[in-house]
Amino acid sequence: MRIGKKWFASTLLLVTALSSLTACGSGTSSEGAAGSGSTEPVKIRMIESLTSPARTEVLKQMVSKFEEANPGIDVELISPPLDSADTKIAQMLSSKADIDVLEVRDSTVKQFVTNNWIADLSPYTSKWSGYGTLNASAQMSANYIENKPYYIPYGLYEKILFYRTDWFKEKGLEAPKTWEELYAAAKAITDPSKNRYGYSFRGGKGADSYIVDMIRDYNGTNTNPEDAMFLKNGNTIFSTPEAKQALENHLNIYKDGSPKDSVNWGFAEMVEGFEAGVTGMLIQDPDVIDVVKQKMGEGTWSTAAIPAGPSGVTHYKVGAAGWGMAAHSEHKDEAWKLIEFLSSPEQNEFFTQKIGLIPVHTTASENEFYKTGYYKPYMDMNADAAHYIPVKPETDYKGFGEWRSIIQQDTQAIIFGRLSVDDALKKWDAYWLDQKKQGK
Amino acid sequence: MNNTGVRKPRLSRTAAFILFCLLPALIPVLVLTYFPILKGIVMAFQNYSLFNLNDIRFIGFDNFRTVLQDPNLPTILKNTGLWVFISLILQFAIGFLLSLLLYRKFPGRGVYQGLIYYSWAMSGFLIGIIWRWMFNGQIGVINDLLLKAGLISERIGFLSDPKWAMFSVIVANIWYGVAFFAIMLTAAMQSIPEELFEAADMDGANGLQKMLHVIIPYILPTIITTTALRVIWIFNFPDIIYAMTNGGPANSTHILSTFMLDKIVFGGDYGLAGAVGVISIVLLLLYTLFYLFATKASKAGDF
Repeated sequence: MRIGKKWFASTLLLVTALSSLTACGSGTSSEGAAGSGSTEPVKIRMIESLTSPARTEVLKQMVSKFEEANPGIDVELISPPLDSADTKIAQMLSSKADIDVLEVRDSTVKQFVTNNWIADLSPYTSKWSGYGTLNASAQMSANYIENKPYYIPYGLYEKILFYRTDWFKEKGLEAPKTWEELYAAAKAITDPSKNRYGYSFRGGKGADSYIVDMIRDYNGTNTNPEDAMFLKNGNTIFSTPEAKQALENHLNIYKDGSPKDSVNWGFAEMVEGFEAGVTGMLIQDPDVIDVVKQKMGEGTWSTAAIPAGPSGVTHYKVGAAGWGMAAHSEHKDEAWKLIEFLSSPEQNEFFTQKIGLIPVHTTASENEFYKTGYYKPYMDMNADAAHYIPVKPETDYKGFGEWRSIIQQDTQAIIFGRLSVDDALKKWDAYWLDQKKQGK
Repeated sequence: MNNTGVRKPRLSRTAAFILFCLLPALIPVLVLTYFPILKGIVMAFQNYSLFNLNDIRFIGFDNFRTVLQDPNLPTILKNTGLWVFISLILQFAIGFLLSLLLYRKFPGRGVYQGLIYYSWAMSGFLIGIIWRWMFNGQIGVINDLLLKAGLISERIGFLSDPKWAMFSVIVANIWYGVAFFAIMLTAAMQSIPEELFEAADMDGANGLQKMLHVIIPYILPTIITTTALRVIWIFNFPDIIYAMTNGGPANSTHILSTFMLDKIVFGGDYGLAGAVGVISIVLLLLYTLFYLFATKASKAGDF
């Protein structure tokens, strides 16, 4: 039957089309059935987000120590690929998959709380002695949403400048103190014939914070640290002539002092560019210190504080990530035991030193490890509150995720001459005024 | 059959039994395929944001309006066309050549086949990451090879220059998909009866004539089916582009499926992603109908 075969073939192909499309659009939740009601030991599942093989190894060591100390609890650690981990976690939470402990980030906590996916930890923190020794940044991060501890940070992320001391010496340069000096240094070092460039520019995924930080610094003390996409007068940080200067300087750093390819660079390429001897400066979080230390010889590089805007002011964001508890967990007490263990001063010091993060307990800040060497700029920045101003991250706005994509693509469009600086700033100004109107 | 005047039962016992036996296979398909499709279509008409699942409501065609008014849509549609058709033609052409080399026995054939098929076993994201490093403008091996061979005098920003970026992701996709055609066409060729070649030899056919009059007619149903399927898969395959360029620089490498993923990953907006999905479904439906009728579906495999 020709017609019958035709229709059968058509139907089969259409079904294939539909099913492959669905597979692309939505995650498959093939998690196992909940393991409730089992006798002993209790099994709890934890999922991490900022995964890397080295970090997972450290976490496994800590989990083993926990299991040794708590023979009645088995922990299964889930480590999805870095790029899709947050999406995976959100899907697991929305489908109430069998998850007890999860990595919560400053960029995901708002979404998790709004959807009632994670538990308020106050009933547990009120009885935990370690909570009192969390430093101010860790407390602020933990309580960022609704002033309740929705997660316990395991470490703080704060950017510093990495630079090649040998290349700087060759050119008679000092570590740049302002963004203008950073541009000048990047330009001086750049020599494409040697495949040598001044700066590891971030034009790809994650470019947003680099652009926004510089614009805040150019706006100086007019920036509102409590709501840092805005000035103290309520206008956005993109509405001023200083914003234009900042964006132009950012683009000049790309044009005259960075590899052309860096318009697409994300975290991995930036770090690789610095380590591989292609770029002479890199601005990154402390977790890169250890990686750079392993790849580059002592004496060839150093760290410095983040450069400032024209008025000498630097704004910095303290990023945080930590451990939270799924609101639907059936083993909340056991889950808290794990969070408490991972967050204890001893385990936190072990973890932050292994991974290269700023620790969360006040007790650790006295440690020589953080007072000298590559971590010293952090201590210097924190000690000079007049010039280094911490700002609250804008992650609690609903449009934050979309914003990251918009600013990244728009800045690339400026670089390729498809959008003007003025039009981009106008667009961003309108976007944030709209965000403000919509409320958090 | 039944001329006694008794009403014919609506479903014969045999048919009911067959249906009952099919249920174990049918239920997972209904639950895992049709339910998500239906859900995706419903989401396309809803305000469905991952950032606030407490505010899910129907908003009519708003999501479609947003997608259709997106200034990047013309580029995305053009890219989707280029991505599908250039990838398909070159994947098929190279896969066909490889299958011609591989289908007859020769020493070490298994090793060659293994090497060629290997790419098909790898994840699309992994392939994207590998190619991203290979195409890296500063430290990528492709630039190094071209420089050493004297073919270029300065490094090319394969992924950073919008003029090169689409070309680069298509190259990676071609590399990935060649194995599929090589596998399928080799299998089809290996099933050609030896007598046909013997007859062609007796008629004095040369290699080209054998290919045109024996090989191609024999494997035509496989060609039609595989190319039809492959178009659908390539259309819905965001992995390589997402890993290599994230749709950039400046949106220059987005196709519909990466655009859809972007709406979820960055915006958490399943409503907008659903609208892109529905548009994709419509385009694919039109394509499959056109393709199957144009190539006469009766030849499309041994159904």
